[in-house]
Amino acid sequence: MSSTELPPPPSVAGSSLAGTAPYVIGAAENRALCATLGAAAAADGTAHPIYFFIATQVGMGQTVAGLCALCDFNVEEGPMIASSSVTFSHALRTEQPYQVTGEIKSLVRKRSRTFGVMDVLEYALRLSLPDGQRVLETVNVWMLPRRGLA
Amino acid sequence: MSGGLSSSAAALAVGAGLPAYSIVVDSQSMQLWAGFLRDPNPIHLDPRAVQAKGLGDKVINQGPANLAYVITMLQRSFPHSTLVALEVRYAGSVFAGDAVQAGGTIVEVAREASGVRIRCDVWLRANERDPAIAGQAVLVLPKE
Repeated sequence: MSSTELPPPPSVAGSSLAGTAPYVIGAAENRALCATLGAAAAADGTAHPIYFFIATQVGMGQTVAGLCALCDFNVEEGPMIASSSVTFSHALRTEQPYQVTGEIKSLVRKRSRTFGVMDVLEYALRLSLPDGQRVLETVNVWMLPRRGLA
Repeated sequence: MSGGLSSSAAALAVGAGLPAYSIVVDSQSMQLWAGFLRDPNPIHLDPRAVQAKGLGDKVINQGPANLAYVITMLQRSFPHSTLVALEVRYAGSVFAGDAVQAGGTIVEVAREASGVRIRCDVWLRANERDPAIAGQAVLVLPKE
């Protein structure tokens, strides 16, 4: 079967992933997270940079299950994160409210030697200060295996 | 913080390796990360869920936790740096009990008016398997 014979994926590009409430990195949670890494939290109020992922993922307007559902995919089928990229304009700080905005960039159906038919989901998320100043932008790519189409 | 690379020209040379960061992954940390990520996926919490999916017999570490090991390695290598950009592929799983090692190599050094911009290849390996994470990071060191 050629790729042209696959049914098209849901048309979700452009769907908003804006958060409904500001995300705040709690200082206590940051300390607990750093402790799992064998590291001390920074004394200057900056948060561990991995919060680029946590703050955007938790603060966006969808859970992972909800994001999968937007793509007509059951989260129980096992979405797999494939890649992440981030560009920081400023360091992240604890107890600072951040607004999360973002959108789905694409959902592309393809064949994979490893996974059979799968949809490749790419979405962008941004953190901004309350005054609109950009703090970071991240792009995540997930693979959604479509075993029913294999 | 000790243990970082010197900012000397010799230490910040293309091809220089970054000090490795090692940690043993435990299931208690995965429970904490499930809270940080608000992610109740049972493959991180219950070995029976992992077995049911045919993925092994130990709980699987969260991908962002794996990435956090890499970032921590960078922070230890360059204690006064600013992380500017990061791009990684999640290429494999890390399981409870795995001894993981994060490391990297400097691939580009640019001395600029504001400081030194460094690009590194970075990776995370578990028990000598193929990298679970591979990618590149860009950091800026302040001007001395």
